[in-house]
Amino acid sequence: MMDRSPKPPEALMRAIAEDLKPVRPSPQPLQLALRMVPLALLVSSVILLAIGPRHDSAILGPLLTWGASAAQFLLAIALIWIAAHESTPAGRLPRQVVYSAAIAVSLVVVFVTLLTFSTSPANESLLHVPPWINEKLRVSPWIMGFACGIGSTLAGGILVLFFSWVFRNSLVTRPTVAGALYGAGAGLAINAGWRIACPVSTPWHALGAHGAAIIATVILGALIGRFLGNRRLHTGGRNL
Amino acid sequence: MIDFCMKLVTNASRAAKSLIMSEGDQELRALMMRYQGGSLEAFQEMYAQLAPGVRRYLSRLAGDSEIADDLLQETFLQMHRSRAAYNPKYAVRPWVFGLARNVFLMNRRAARRWAKVHELREDLPESPVLPEADRLGSQDEIRRCIAYLPSDQAEALLLHHEWGFSFEEIAGMLGISAAAARARASRGMAGLRVTLNSLQRARA
Repeated sequence: MMDRSPKPPEALMRAIAEDLKPVRPSPQPLQLALRMVPLALLVSSVILLAIGPRHDSAILGPLLTWGASAAQFLLAIALIWIAAHESTPAGRLPRQVVYSAAIAVSLVVVFVTLLTFSTSPANESLLHVPPWINEKLRVSPWIMGFACGIGSTLAGGILVLFFSWVFRNSLVTRPTVAGALYGAGAGLAINAGWRIACPVSTPWHALGAHGAAIIATVILGALIGRFLGNRRLHTGGRNL
Repeated sequence: MIDFCMKLVTNASRAAKSLIMSEGDQELRALMMRYQGGSLEAFQEMYAQLAPGVRRYLSRLAGDSEIADDLLQETFLQMHRSRAAYNPKYAVRPWVFGLARNVFLMNRRAARRWAKVHELREDLPESPVLPEADRLGSQDEIRRCIAYLPSDQAEALLLHHEWGFSFEEIAGMLGISAAAARARASRGMAGLRVTLNSLQRARA
């Protein structure tokens, strides 16, 4: 049995002394959440520059084009803030806040999708690309679905990897939940930008491709969170 | 609906405030900042101040003092690995107790010790005795009664009455609202009183 005096055991002291380099204190959850803004904006800008803004943005108006995306972006920051709290021992938010945020995100995505479709029921891919590509996309709309789904997932994956790196050292009670929240934040932030570029507003495309991409980043975040949590646990007593 | 939203915002802001340090935590905060700067002495001093309380807490959670000893070492090792994740605005004690709880939960999950922990309940943990309950029965009786309380109530009860954490701090550690933490502690105390009173009546 261990010595019960308040002096640290030798093995622990050895492990601590081996790696005692100075570290920089972590910022608070809100500051951490705001750190993702430049990267998310950069990824979204690249998408917008590559594809160009949707052709029906004049019909949708600035509120439904930029305003809805801004609302989604703010919600994404809120999710990352909640995830950062979840990653802080003694800083966890009540479960009802976490679940309410998840429900709010789902409702906002569905609401924005339906509102966009009802205002401009565009169902043809009209991109700023050579006409033969647009013709191909018109004949096979599923290609556009795959492009949006896979593209959003890859772009969201970049953010998820960024979060995983930032939070690799935090000891989370529920790493899968925290990872899923980071994933949801990443997916939503990317969707906020992607929807300004995507010319198809049918619900099956918006929910089936863009929604699926958000779910994919949630799963990716949860898997990475679980992996990091397990790895941390298995290496926990290695040095003792 | 508006009430519900207001309640959520209040809960979130309370939990966020629980990260803010109390005055009594100043010394530990200074030590933690020196430790983050690479001071081994600061770590030793922190260990001296925190280890006894954390060990009692882990002993209470695990229900076994040998497991608690292992978890104590792991908690401080994890604290070392996570030291960069500490923000000087946080109160140190709830942060370290929160880490200890995480370490316990992760180990329990990994080792599937839950059933074993409950089997070990026969061998009573070194549960602290609440000062408020001291006059209601012997230390052994109080320990026994606490061991039979629902674990969530016993945990909130001890964190508040024995270790002196505020309900906001407990809420942040357990991922519940401050009101729920207060309710758990209050129900635990009521349950403890009832059990101790019935014990006394049986003895009379």
